[in-house]
Amino acid sequence: MTSRLKKKLGDIGVDTSSTRANENFCLIGTPLPPLEKSRDTGEFVPLWKQEVRDEKGRRRLHGAFTGGFSAGYFNTVGSKEGLMDPQTFVSSRSDRATKKATKPEDFMDEEDLQDIRDSRKIVDTTDELDLASGAQAEGQDQTGVDPLTTALQSAMLPPSKDSVGARILKKMGWRVGQGIGPRITFKQRRLQDLQASGSLSAGTDMDTSLDEESEEANKHTYAPRDTPVLIVERKDNSHGLGYRSGMSLNERLGAKGGGGSTSMGPKIASGFGLGALNDADEDDLDIYEGGSSNLRSRLAYDAADDHDGETISLGKPKSNLKPVAGPSTTTHGTFRDGRAVLPGFLLSAQSVMEDRWYPLPDIPPGWKPDPKRVWSQSQGQANPDKENVKQNDSMPQEKWKASKLSAAERGSILGETPLPSAPRSVFDFMSQKDRERLQNIAASLLSSHPLMLPPRCDNPHPRTDPQIARAALGGFQPFPSNPVKQARYRAYLQSQANVDSEITLAPLPHQSIAEFNSEMEEYSQSAIVFKPMSGAMAGRFTSAAVVEHGPKVVEGLHTPSFTESKDSDAEQKEKEKEPELSPKEHAVRIGMYGSLTREVKPWQPAKLLCKRFGVKDPNPEPTTEPDPSTHPQDPTSSAFDSSAATPSMADIGIITSSNVGGAGSGGPRDLANVGLGDDDETQGRDTLTYERPSVDVFKAIFASDDEDSTSSVSAPVVVPSAVAPSLAPAPPDDQVVDINTFKPTFVRREARMAATIDSEKKEKKERKEKKEKKKRKVTVSFLDGDDEGGDSLNVVVEKPKKKRKKDKERGKEKETKVPATIDDDDMWVEKQPVTGQVSHVDSEMTNSTPQGAAATEMPKGRKRAVDFL
Amino acid sequence: MSTASLPRHIHVELQGHKGPVNVARYAKGSAKYILTGGQDRSVRLWNASLGTEIKAFNAHGYEVLSISVAHDNAKFASSGGDRSVFIWDVATGMTTRRLAGHMGKIHVVEFNEDASVVASGSFDSTVRLWDLRAQNRAPIQILEEARDAVQTLHVDSTTIIAGSVDGHVRTYDLRKGELRSDYIGHPVTAVVPTQDSQTFLVTTLDSHIRLMDTTNGKMLNDFTGHSNSSYRCRACFNHGESTVVIGDENGMVWAWDLLDAKLLQPNPPPKAHNKVITWTEYHPSDAGEMITSSADGTCKVWRHPT
Repeated sequence: MTSRLKKKLGDIGVDTSSTRANENFCLIGTPLPPLEKSRDTGEFVPLWKQEVRDEKGRRRLHGAFTGGFSAGYFNTVGSKEGLMDPQTFVSSRSDRATKKATKPEDFMDEEDLQDIRDSRKIVDTTDELDLASGAQAEGQDQTGVDPLTTALQSAMLPPSKDSVGARILKKMGWRVGQGIGPRITFKQRRLQDLQASGSLSAGTDMDTSLDEESEEANKHTYAPRDTPVLIVERKDNSHGLGYRSGMSLNERLGAKGGGGSTSMGPKIASGFGLGALNDADEDDLDIYEGGSSNLRSRLAYDAADDHDGETISLGKPKSNLKPVAGPSTTTHGTFRDGRAVLPGFLLSAQSVMEDRWYPLPDIPPGWKPDPKRVWSQSQGQANPDKENVKQNDSMPQEKWKASKLSAAERGSILGETPLPSAPRSVFDFMSQKDRERLQNIAASLLSSHPLMLPPRCDNPHPRTDPQIARAALGGFQPFPSNPVKQARYRAYLQSQANVDSEITLAPLPHQSIAEFNSEMEEYSQSAIVFKPMSGAMAGRFTSAAVVEHGPKVVEGLHTPSFTESKDSDAEQKEKEKEPELSPKEHAVRIGMYGSLTREVKPWQPAKLLCKRFGVKDPNPEPTTEPDPSTHPQDPTSSAFDSSAATPSMADIGIITSSNVGGAGSGGPRDLANVGLGDDDETQGRDTLTYERPSVDVFKAIFASDDEDSTSSVSAPVVVPSAVAPSLAPAPPDDQVVDINTFKPTFVRREARMAATIDSEKKEKKERKEKKEKKKRKVTVSFLDGDDEGGDSLNVVVEKPKKKRKKDKERGKEKETKVPATIDDDDMWVEKQPVTGQVSHVDSEMTNSTPQGAAATEMPKGRKRAVDFL
Repeated sequence: MSTASLPRHIHVELQGHKGPVNVARYAKGSAKYILTGGQDRSVRLWNASLGTEIKAFNAHGYEVLSISVAHDNAKFASSGGDRSVFIWDVATGMTTRRLAGHMGKIHVVEFNEDASVVASGSFDSTVRLWDLRAQNRAPIQILEEARDAVQTLHVDSTTIIAGSVDGHVRTYDLRKGELRSDYIGHPVTAVVPTQDSQTFLVTTLDSHIRLMDTTNGKMLNDFTGHSNSSYRCRACFNHGESTVVIGDENGMVWAWDLLDAKLLQPNPPPKAHNKVITWTEYHPSDAGEMITSSADGTCKVWRHPT
């Protein structure tokens, strides 16, 4: 237990030394040591209290005053031999004789010794599996021998380091230094030696050098010679092959007998150097040196002693064939064309392989090539096949369909006895009358809906994953030039996006089922293809801002004027397209710039931008209330819902529940608008539904500094009958406040009450104010006289000034400070004369038809008074 | 009538660009100097009255399409084919900032009143607003409403007007926090508002110049007669805003009376340049001086004959 835990327990009031605290519940295994005795080694010790010790337990680091980082001669500070308490010098001269000779190892530390050991190590340093010790360990596990005995064993016995193979070989009688294989005679062995040493060519004196020793030796058989390990020296220089550094010129030219190699002394092991006076001892020779000249040192005895050879050889015997000596031009010969062969090349005896030729097959006499026959044959084979297949495929279905026989009927025809427990239909329990009635109803239904007649497969079109469909709805619309197709595509996606949607696609009247299916296939494919990217990739790409909208959109600098160069057909087409133009373009065409071509949207400048321009942020709060009309990315609320009731929908085969119900709400939407609303928010949107700017704009314009709240006083003055009939009041559900964007502000109760009661009225006031503002600007503007509502402008311009005066007077009377939020309440309460309003509406009504339709939609886009609280 | 008549006498001809001159702007203040930017990737500073070249600013790697001079004449901004806005220090002739971020060539660059923000409109159909006060090189805001290349910009104290090839003039009103987009119907190449910013002059590629009402988007006047169908030409007002002036693609400088939209004499006007006139600008304070720059490689300063 840590000291901290102990302390904690102590704080709680538990006695750590009590038996209860140290009660042991351990049934299996070793219990943890009791609380008091053990010190947790893992316990946290601050850095300056930690001690570093070397492998012998000596303190490794000492403070600055005790010798620094690693003090003394190899960390001997503090130990008995440490330099910090210098020993007195004692002369060893007298007991020089008793002193044994010191070896270099005596003065070496662990690292140096390790180095020596490493340098002596054989090439193969990989650890071998120690079978014996493994067996020992196993035996120990099994028998449970006293660990002391095993420790003794391991100490006494030399560790076995042989590889498994070596150990097995040893058990089979092999010794270190011997070769592998059956035992051979002395003669054979001698031959091997000679082969290995490469002096077989000098074997002429082999027989003569047989002496008496060999007689004795011939009586025994010997193990074969060990195969020398071939160590290929790494070539790490840039000399040519066969070159050694220090080669004499003669050697280099190939002549033997340079004394260089003989003068070279034996290689000395690299472990530690020999002194200048020392001779190279045998022990110092590096027996593992890879040089081939020292082969003899591996042999048990001198190869020179070997005698009579027999023709047994290990490995590949050296070929006695000498290369053709002294090639002369006569042996080379000449090519067939008489030219001499280049010196150093031989003419090949074999000629180059030639392609084999086969004789033509025997052509029957009277045979003529006639490919037509072959073709007709193959066609004749294919055609009946196809027909067969077709018949086989289509027959059963069609027959069943045509015969309209039920399974029971067919069974009765065949004379089968009906199954005893056949599931009975509801109709079986009905009376004959009822059944007839139902049939009549069904027949009338069918006859009234001829469109429904084509057999509708339950799940004819390929399904699209709802997620993909949803994504594709917001993504690229692939058929901009074909609005019908586009609309159908969208309808398809919507039907796929939410499974329980009532939108289903029916085939077009002139469309066959097959065509319809292929169309659905196409839609599902394009949904997969055109769905916007998601995840990490999405940020890397931006969808094209310019979408191809078919032929009618004119963009780019070099636009050919297509209206002039069209012939009569094209003109007719143009005339057909004319109504499809958006009201904006239409207005441009007839030169009616103004409200039709203008579109006003709320725009939020960046805060920093306002700061840089020295302008107050128009919407300091985050924008409130997601307005459905300003959200183009909402696919469901866009073109489809609003345009569900248009007659074009039925034409293009989209069946919605609202379509059936026939709820008419839509404006003048034509086919060109359908489905395009999502791509380009400017299209399909009525130009007159404009966004009301935020309160602050009004505040900035109308509210004066000393204005105060008297809304509760002046609010009841408003007469509802003054409202123009063309502006229908907003639906009364405006008390609903969006939770997400709701911000509580402190408003005096009476002001709030007034606001809620008169919200509708105020809303109209706002609208009026807005219009007035516009008109006032008109008066300042360039051409005043042209304006249609010019006569009414004078009235309107004056009004706000009056109001402001009044307010100022009131402010002087009261002189009370009021929160700013109330200001925007009371700037709308004043009743306005209707004259300006009506005249404005009239002037609007004189405009073209789409505008009038849009005017009915106006209340939708407006904000409510609640939102400004 | 003398104020209405155009200066049609060549005062000096600024020759030095090796290729079309895309833009020529007066300096601010007393406007004694002219900055021109050309296809030869250089911006040149000229003395308007003497016609001498004072300095050439060479750092652009592509053509220079637009120049805007700061209110204090200490720096100017230029942009063009190399997709970044260059802010220059006039005295040293070095760029102090290079604002990269646009995806296409930048057609127009414009300072705001105190040169704390520079707006740039690009072929990538965005308008980027760059902060020059802070060290941050990222744009303050990106206006992405345009559907096609933004050809012209005008920035005044509270509004940013952008004209685009998609046929819209978009007015970003900072004070109201609203965006008024007026559909002109033809690619817009230049928007020049009047001093009172109640009206603005829209040059479009259908060879029309329209005077639009800022408040309600109505067309107040329509000026035709010139030819402008594929190049960026710029119509501007004369000094007293009584005349509308444009140099067209045939190298002629046309003038209309603002109110009755009648072509002023001479009609047809004499050829001022051999090639398309890319920029027409009236002297901000001197009633009798204007400049035109042309694709024939010259920029001409026009004055009344003395």
